[in-house]
Amino acid sequence: MKLGNLIIAGIVTGSIYAAFAACVALWYRVSNILNLAVGDFAMMGALGVDDLVRVKHWAIAPAILVMLAAVAVGAYVYDRVVLGLAQDGRTRQEGIVVTFFFTFALSFFLEGLAEVLYGTDVHAAPDLWAGPSLNVFASGLHIERAGVLVVGFAAVVGLALAVFMRRTLRGKAVEACGENYLGARIVGIDNRQYRRLLFVLSAVLAAVFGILESPITGYTFNSGASISLTGFLAAAFAGFQKPGKAVVAGLSIGLLEAILGGYVSAQYGDTLLYAILAAAVLIRPSAMGLDVALD
Amino acid sequence: MTDSAGGRGGATAVAPGSGDGASSQPAALRVADLSVSYGRVAAVHDVSFSIDEGECVALIGPNGNGKSSIVMGIAGLVARGGHVEIFGRTAPPANVMFMSRHGLTLVPERRQLYPQLSVADNVILGCYSRTRSLRKARTSDSYRRALTLFPELEGHMKQKAGTLSGGQQQMVAIARGLAADPRILAVDEPCLGLAETVGKRVYDALAGIHADGRTLLIVEEAPVRALQLATRQVEVRNGVVVRGSE
Repeated sequence: MKLGNLIIAGIVTGSIYAAFAACVALWYRVSNILNLAVGDFAMMGALGVDDLVRVKHWAIAPAILVMLAAVAVGAYVYDRVVLGLAQDGRTRQEGIVVTFFFTFALSFFLEGLAEVLYGTDVHAAPDLWAGPSLNVFASGLHIERAGVLVVGFAAVVGLALAVFMRRTLRGKAVEACGENYLGARIVGIDNRQYRRLLFVLSAVLAAVFGILESPITGYTFNSGASISLTGFLAAAFAGFQKPGKAVVAGLSIGLLEAILGGYVSAQYGDTLLYAILAAAVLIRPSAMGLDVALD
Repeated sequence: MTDSAGGRGGATAVAPGSGDGASSQPAALRVADLSVSYGRVAAVHDVSFSIDEGECVALIGPNGNGKSSIVMGIAGLVARGGHVEIFGRTAPPANVMFMSRHGLTLVPERRQLYPQLSVADNVILGCYSRTRSLRKARTSDSYRRALTLFPELEGHMKQKAGTLSGGQQQMVAIARGLAADPRILAVDEPCLGLAETVGKRVYDALAGIHADGRTLLIVEEAPVRALQLATRQVEVRNGVVVRGSE
């Protein structure tokens, strides 16, 4: 029973990691830039919906739609103004500064904005599926309703992204953009259009996950960094290249974390987890695609 | 390819700015006063030449004299000044899609493949300018023809392109270019870094493409093979055409 509940908890946590990893990997695949603001988009979605519903007394559906639209517009403007200046000019900026720091600044900006708008308290978007936790097949195993939504949405998004990348010419064009900027342009692929579209899409997906997940963990204005870190970590184990693999990596990390926390040490579970992950990277970087990412 | 015309030996040099030239058909490609700069450095100045449909033209000259910049400017990959016409239509600057849709595809220097993608994916992305459907691309005649030109690739379709030999990568790059079903194929340094026998195989393939009725523009620093295939040459030195503009 204990193991079953740990596995369920691990799947829910892993789905959260998987979702943000998919967002990070998706955009990295097209731009070779790590989206370290992905967690902040999730935080803005959750805190924004909470504010509109709880403080301003909006109905939940329009509140969600307005916040998703706001996130989409914000991501679009950032791409046009900042990323466009760096990537679309006569001299295209490349290298580690672009890869790591272009979205880091956005993360800080969103964190500050959230502090001003929503304060420093813990917030959560309203439960979309309120009620007591579910007893899985009357087996005594329990899962929170918000957890079911998170797992379901992560599965749908992971599957959709995997199909998009593997089974469509546009998905292959996305991969080509990240593989070779000039090579993609030669066959007529509009790198800028894909970069912009997927930045906005990954921001909106992150916001949806934030809205679904915040009832489980609760968010503050500075939750974004830790969310991005979990996404970054799981995406790293997919070499930042494959959103589908990133989902699997996220789920695995979540499961490992839950089992270590349950059976080894609740206090040192995270420490053990990171030690295992670090050892895995050192032993077999190629198996996880990290050599590609580092290259 | 349905629009084959002309053939080897039918070259008619057209003076820049002379409209449709000597023939009643517009030139396949007409370049007038083309210039390309990188920042303050001018790489190409006032280059003019034209190519009739079915010709094979060798663009030759020493390394670093602007040959690649000329084809990059024509293909829309770098900003350029001057005037470029393709089959009578004026091309907007820096618009790869326009050139591709109107029949010009570039096989660039150093191939510019997608190393982590499979050979099949590399070639099929050549169809991108014509369709967004993977199914249509896979069943297209141009994709099939591009692959049949290089039977050497048959056993490597699922292999990552970055793991192929230089010669095989060049074949993939040419196949990707052909998958776009171009009327004009521009090939930049097709034998760069390749062994003698592999270079010969690449040129055999280019001869086959030309015999199929396609117009070829071959950029070469070491032009012995290119001049054997070409019906005409345009020589570039210091970013200026010194021979073959007319």
